[in-house]
Amino acid sequence: MSATSTLPKLGLPATIIGLIAGIILTAIGVVFGFLQGLSVQFIILSAIATLAAFVWAWRFVIGQFVSDTPPPAEGEISEARRVWLKFRPAIYGLIVILGLFLILSLTIEGFFNVWNVVSLLIILTIIVLTRTLGRHFQENRSAFIGVMVLSGLFSIGSMNIDGFASANNIKSMLLFASFLGIASVGQTLVALLGGLDLSIPFIIGAANVGLLYLIGLGVPPWLAAIIVLVIGAILGVINGLLSYRLQGQALIVTLGTGFAISGGVQIVTSIGTAYGGNVFGTVPAWLSNLAAMNGSTFGLPVPPVIAIWLLIAIILIAGMRLTSYGRYLYALGVNRTSADRVMVSELGYWVSMYAVSGFFAALTGGLLLGWSGGGFIGVGDQYLFLTLAAVVVGGTSLLGGQGGYGFTVIGVLVLQVLSSFLIGIGLDFEWQQFIFGLLILPMVALYARSPHIRTQI
Amino acid sequence: MSDVATTEPRVQAEPSQGGRANPFLLVPITLFFLLLGLAVLRSPSLMTSFGIGSAVIVATPLILATYALMASVISGRGTVDLSIGPLIGFVNVTLIQLYGAGVLQNPISIFLYAIVIGGLYQFIFALIVIYVRVQPIIVSLSGYLALSGINLVILPRPGGVAPQFMADWGLGTSIFSPVFVILVLATIAWLLFTRTAFYTHLRLMGSDERAAYTSGVPIYVVRIGAHVISGGFAGLAAIAFTALISSGDPSQGTTYTLIAVTALVLGGASLAGGRASVFGSFLGAVNLYLITFVLATFNFGAVQSFVTNLAYGSILVASLLLTLIIPFIQRHIHNFSPVLYFVVLGVVALGVILHATNDYDPRARSQPVEEVVAVAPLEPIAPERLYVGPLEVAQPTATDAVLRAEAAPLILSALLLIVIAVFVRLAVSQSDRKTIAPAVAVVLAALVLFGAYLMRGDGSPAPAAGQTEETR
Repeated sequence: MSATSTLPKLGLPATIIGLIAGIILTAIGVVFGFLQGLSVQFIILSAIATLAAFVWAWRFVIGQFVSDTPPPAEGEISEARRVWLKFRPAIYGLIVILGLFLILSLTIEGFFNVWNVVSLLIILTIIVLTRTLGRHFQENRSAFIGVMVLSGLFSIGSMNIDGFASANNIKSMLLFASFLGIASVGQTLVALLGGLDLSIPFIIGAANVGLLYLIGLGVPPWLAAIIVLVIGAILGVINGLLSYRLQGQALIVTLGTGFAISGGVQIVTSIGTAYGGNVFGTVPAWLSNLAAMNGSTFGLPVPPVIAIWLLIAIILIAGMRLTSYGRYLYALGVNRTSADRVMVSELGYWVSMYAVSGFFAALTGGLLLGWSGGGFIGVGDQYLFLTLAAVVVGGTSLLGGQGGYGFTVIGVLVLQVLSSFLIGIGLDFEWQQFIFGLLILPMVALYARSPHIRTQI
Repeated sequence: MSDVATTEPRVQAEPSQGGRANPFLLVPITLFFLLLGLAVLRSPSLMTSFGIGSAVIVATPLILATYALMASVISGRGTVDLSIGPLIGFVNVTLIQLYGAGVLQNPISIFLYAIVIGGLYQFIFALIVIYVRVQPIIVSLSGYLALSGINLVILPRPGGVAPQFMADWGLGTSIFSPVFVILVLATIAWLLFTRTAFYTHLRLMGSDERAAYTSGVPIYVVRIGAHVISGGFAGLAAIAFTALISSGDPSQGTTYTLIAVTALVLGGASLAGGRASVFGSFLGAVNLYLITFVLATFNFGAVQSFVTNLAYGSILVASLLLTLIIPFIQRHIHNFSPVLYFVVLGVVALGVILHATNDYDPRARSQPVEEVVAVAPLEPIAPERLYVGPLEVAQPTATDAVLRAEAAPLILSALLLIVIAVFVRLAVSQSDRKTIAPAVAVVLAALVLFGAYLMRGDGSPAPAAGQTEETR
C-alpha cells in the first residue's frame, strides 16, 4: 500500500526508456490490429490500454526501487544497470509475457481482441502487485500470491468463457477441488515434517475397489466404510513405521508400499471371481448423495463432500494454529533436535501424520466411489503428482516446517480453477497437462526461491 | 563416504583399507544372485543366447535410464529427476515423427539428435535450478507434467515406425546386438568419467554443497555438467527404448520414471546425493528386470500383474530396510570387498546355472522326443561322487565324463585362486595390527596350496577337492 501512496519521481533516462519501450509496443499492437482488420475503436482502445499498462508497470518497477533504497552514491553504476540488476526476474517475466502475447496475436486469427487485452492487463497487474505488495506480506506471501492468481484467473475465465462463473460450474469446480483437497491433507501434513507420501494414489484406488468389494460381499455399507477407513489408517501407520528410519528415502518407501497395497488389494478382490480385478456392485444411495453433483446437504443443493472438505479444512487450520499439538508439528519440521529437547516425540508425530494421510486417502477413495458409482483401481492415479503439485503451489515447503493446510487449500483451488479454465478455452487433456507443468515453475518461483549458496555459509 | 539420510545412528565407519569398498552394494549383489538363481531354476531358457539377448534388449533402456538418473542424483540437493521417463518418451516420439517426416534418416544423425535433445533439456533444467533457485524436485515435477503432456500432443496414440536398422536391433536373437554395444560403451564411458577430477568435484558437491563452494569447486559448472551427462544417457536410453518397441509410444516412456528411481535406490544410491555407483545401478536395474522375469515364469492367471505389483513393492521396501543393517555390518566387518563377494556368489550362481541347464530341468530334457532322463533311478553312489552328488540328478554320459575330466583342472584352479584371494585379502587387511592373524592367513593359504598340489598329484576327482576347499 505504501508503494502506491509515495510514487516518486523517476530519473530522466528511466522515464525516456520506459516511454520509448511503451510506444514501440503500442505501435506494434496497432499495426497488428490493422493487419487483422479490427475496427478502429478497438485498436485505439487497446493501444491506449497497452501504453497505460506498460507505463504504469514501468513506473511501479522503477518507483519501488527508488522508494526502497536510499539515494545511491554518485557515479557507481548507471541507473539503468542498477534497475536491471535489481528487477531482473520481474523484467524478464514482463518481457516474456508481452512477447508471448505478441506471438499469439501474430499467429492466431482473432486473438487480438478486447477481452484478451484485458486479460493481459490483469496478468500484468498480478505480477506487478505481487512484486510490490507481496513484500509487505513476508509471512504469508505465498497465500497472498495464490489469492491474487486465483482471483485473476477467475476474472479472466469469467470474461472469456461463457458459463464459467455460473453456479453449476462453480459447484463442479468445488466438487473436484474437494476430492483433491481431501487427498492432499495427508501430503501437506507429511510435507510439514519433511517427508513425502506417494502411496496416496494407491490407497485411494485400493479403498475405492475395496469398499465396493466389501459392499458386494454383503457387509452393511456403513460398516464397510468404517472398515476401509480403519484399514487406510493402519496402512498409513505401516508406512510411517517403515519409513521412520529411512526418512530421506520416504519417497521410495511409500512408493513401494503403494505398489504392494495396490497389488494386494487386487489379489484379494479377485479371489473367487472370474473377472480378475474388476469389481461389481451397487453403491448405496447415501454414498452417491455424498459425492455426486446432484447431492444435497440438509436440503441445500450442494454436494455434502464440499461441506465435509470445508469442515476438515477449518478443523485442520484452526487445530494447527491454536493447539500445542499442532504447533509441535511445526517445531518438529523446523528442527528435530530442538523439538526433541522439549519432549516432542518424533516417532509419534511421524507415524501419526502418515496414519492421517492413509486415513484421508481412504476417505477420498470412498468418496470417489460415491461419485463414479463403480470401482476402479486406477482412479487415484492422477493424484500421484496432483497432491504434490497442490502442496507445492500452495506454498508448503517440501523441506518441512513451513506452510500449512490453508496454503494447500489455496493451491488446490488454483489448480482446479486453472484446469477448468483450460478446459473452458477448449484445450485437450494433454495441453492442459503441458500448461500445468509450465505454470508450476513460475508460481513456485514467485515465493519459494532458496537463497544463494553464498548466503548459506 | 556420505551416508546422509540412511544411517540414523551415524556410525563412524572406519575408512576401509580395501579402498573402493562400498558396503551398500551388499544388498543388490545378494538380491541379484538370489533372483538369478531363481530365474534360472524356473526357466533355464534364460541362459541361452536367445534368452540373454532378449534380456539385454529389454533391460537396456532401464539400465541406461538408471544411469541418467544417477548422474543427476549424485549432484545433491535432492535432485531426483522425475522427468526422466517423459524425457525418454519425448525423444522417442519426436524421433519417430521426424523419421516419418523424412528428416532423420542417418543413424549418426539419429544418435546425435537423441543425445543433443537429452542434453539440451537437462541443460535448461540445470540453468533453472541454478538461477531461478527452485528446488530441483519441483523443476522435475514441472518437467514431468509438461513433457508427458506434449508427448501426447506430438503422438496422440502409439504408432509410427522406427528406422529399419533400429527395428532389427530389437529382435534380440543373439547376445552381441548393437544395443548390447551401446550398453557396454555407456558403462565404460561412466567408468572413465569416474576417473576424472570432475567426478570428484561432483561427489563433493553432492555430499556437501557448501563445503564444495567454499573449497573453490565451480559448483555451477559441475552441476551443469552433471545434468548434461545425465541428458546424454537419457538420449541413449531413448534410443534403446525405441529399438525395443520399434515404434513410438507417448505414454510407455513415462513409466520409466518410477522404475528407474526404484532401480537406483535398489542399487544402493543415496537420493540425498553424493553416493551412487555404476555397478550398483546396473545391478538394481537388472534386479528389477529379473523380478518381472521370475514372476512371469509363475502362472498366476488373471492376477499376474497384481502379484507382480505386490512382489515389486515388497522387495523394494524389504531391500530398503536391509540397508538399515549396513551400519552394523560395517561395524563388524571392516573390510568388505564387493568384488570378492560378487565373485564368491558368482561361483555359487554359476554352479546353479550349470545345474539347472544341464542336470536339473525336467522340461528341457523332456521336451525333446527322447526318453526322459530327468529323474535318475536310485543307485548306489560311488564314494568319490558323494561330494557332488546332492547337486546332480542326471547320469553323466561318456562325453560328460570326458568334459569333466578336462574341466577339472580349470575349476580347481579357479576355486584355488578365489581361496587364495580371500586369504591374501585377509592378510593385507590385518597387516597393520600387531596380531598373529596375517601370519596365520599366510600359513593357511600355503597349506591350502600344498593340499591342492597333493590332491592334483593324487589324481583324485578334482571338483570334489574344490568343493571341500570352498566349504571350509
